[in-house]
Amino acid sequence: MQLSQIIQFVISGLTAGSVYGFTALGFTIIFNATGIINFAQGEFVMLGGLISVYFYQSLKFPLFPACLAAIVVVMIIGGLFERLAIYPRRNSSVITLIIITIGGSIFIKGSTMRILGEDPMALPAFSGGKSIAFLGAAIQPQAIWVAFVTLAAVILLRIFYQHTILGKAMKASADNREAAKIVGINVSRLTLYSFAFSAAIGAIGGVVVTPMIMAVFDMGGMIGLKGFAAAILGGLGNPIGSVLGGLLLGVLESLSVGIISSGYKDAISLLVLLSVLFIRPSGLFGLARGERT
Amino acid sequence: MRKKVCIFLVFLMVFSTLLASCATKKKTTEKKETKKEKETKEATGTPYLIGVILSLTGDYSSLGVPEKNVIEMEVDKFNKEGGVNGHPVEVTIEDDGTDATKAVTAATKLIEQDKVMAIVGTSGTGQTMAIRGEIEKAQIPNVSLAGGNAISEPVNKWVFQVPWPNGVVVPKTLDYLKKKKITKIGLLYDSGGFGVDGQKVLEQKVGEYDIEIVASESYGKDDTDMTVQLTKIKGEGAEAVVVWGAGKAPSIIAKNMDQLGMDIPYIGSHGIARKEFVDGAGDSAEGVVFAAGKIIVPDAYGKGTEAFELADEYIQDYTDQYGEEPNGTFPAHAYDGIHIVFDALKRLDKLPDKVDPKELRDAIEKTKGLILTGGSFTYSATDHFGTKPTDLVMIEVKDGKFEEIE
Repeated sequence: MQLSQIIQFVISGLTAGSVYGFTALGFTIIFNATGIINFAQGEFVMLGGLISVYFYQSLKFPLFPACLAAIVVVMIIGGLFERLAIYPRRNSSVITLIIITIGGSIFIKGSTMRILGEDPMALPAFSGGKSIAFLGAAIQPQAIWVAFVTLAAVILLRIFYQHTILGKAMKASADNREAAKIVGINVSRLTLYSFAFSAAIGAIGGVVVTPMIMAVFDMGGMIGLKGFAAAILGGLGNPIGSVLGGLLLGVLESLSVGIISSGYKDAISLLVLLSVLFIRPSGLFGLARGERT
Repeated sequence: MRKKVCIFLVFLMVFSTLLASCATKKKTTEKKETKKEKETKEATGTPYLIGVILSLTGDYSSLGVPEKNVIEMEVDKFNKEGGVNGHPVEVTIEDDGTDATKAVTAATKLIEQDKVMAIVGTSGTGQTMAIRGEIEKAQIPNVSLAGGNAISEPVNKWVFQVPWPNGVVVPKTLDYLKKKKITKIGLLYDSGGFGVDGQKVLEQKVGEYDIEIVASESYGKDDTDMTVQLTKIKGEGAEAVVVWGAGKAPSIIAKNMDQLGMDIPYIGSHGIARKEFVDGAGDSAEGVVFAAGKIIVPDAYGKGTEAFELADEYIQDYTDQYGEEPNGTFPAHAYDGIHIVFDALKRLDKLPDKVDPKELRDAIEKTKGLILTGGSFTYSATDHFGTKPTDLVMIEVKDGKFEEIE
């Protein structure tokens, strides 16, 4: 095995890993604000991809407006999802809400198949040009875009959580919902924002990666699952951990395909998920947490 | 009050999504009604019942829905022209959801409830293999629209195949590679039924063409990046990459190859004989070569030949009725499948009110030189493939279009 091959594997892994990272970010945002795991997160990524293609191909928007419009639409869908599926049952247990999100994801997937069709669709790359050679491996220009957008997202999120009132309020309400209400935080409004926000993040991930992997109505399931594994790996609740977890998962997957065999690709994420849960449930960068009620 | 509004909004949302999808459903129910009217006008004998199992939902729905359109269109036409000696053909179409278990349920229903004399379908190899047990138990013929080699090798007396199976496509492809003096290939195959089937046949046959498989990698049909596998293949000195699969992955592989700067030829399977491959791969589709039937490059039949006229009529009828040209080879398989049944029915000595499925099976097996879109179909006791490598052509993507090459 040559070094340039290993480098290629790592690069492919980092690219795939950023999608997982975006998805993991979505899980983290909602978990931070509400304590629930939103299993429809993968569908938001899918919707971002498919809707941007719809705007670009069928409605003939120019590329960037199509992407931005799609992100806004998915954000609205996220908000609607919260209001219609989560809010009416907001006082139920976490388990009930999690199951509701699973049901929601099935509904979104089915409706999307009906409305937008089952064929995979692609966007053109954001900037053209050939692959860039790097130490014997090739990097697609689109992959650079993905890396750039991921970095921007991480930095912005960190600023948001550490330095804005809304961000701090989100963390507070996840920590202790009752106490947050007592200090005047509008907890139900926050839940709405967190769903809309995390839907937008998922959509950004979907949009930026569609030129490389094509969007299709049933891509949400695997992406959601691997994003979840990435979030757990990085430590649920830690945005930077989520992204790092995603990247690490992508690279692990890639290396196992390259060095062991392609058959185990999907199994790797599940293996990682199980290992983390058994060995160190708080993940690599998560803070060890006490019991959650 | 708030709660009621929420519940109302949820219902509204669900209802409107159902409406959006109903738009397509309405069209097909209207057609069913007009079909029944026409049947009573033209053919008036006891209808012959044929069961059809297609993937109308699920992964293969983009194959199944056009297949259904074609079958309904051809049955209509056949009955309008008098059916078989006055007996109309009545089809009952069931959906298997691209799932083997559902396919078996559909087969059981068609056999026991609808008492069909034959089953045309399924759209996928996995489902066809799954219903085999029911077919054998009921002793009725099955004309399959799926491409897996295992369907007709070894021969099962009840199952006949329409699409060129891997056992026919692979030799054609290897022959092309040999002509191009390629001796080392890298194989990248889909880990699902079709891909594994192709890999097996390739491994079996490469030796006959003095070709060596220097690297063999698999991928999952939903995988989004195959650069790792391609990097390994590149490292082994392959002179061409042979990709065996369908769906979106082959398009991604074409893009990945460009990404990695691999300029060796991309040889695909007949699974990419659809415009979605070109749409998905964009510029990377240029120069991709694969073997497939003449239906996607109709000029290959030879203008003025019977085959050309037949194909032209089929394409024209479909476009007139459904507003768009049939996409790729799959709807044409459905055309061939139902016509094989029509032709066999016409060759029966006796046409009682209830045809004996065994006699229908025998008649199908005697099909000889029947010209359809897929080629000239001839079955025998030892050959249930029906087609030969000569029914295929090599096709290259040029300027985003399919063109026949020598």
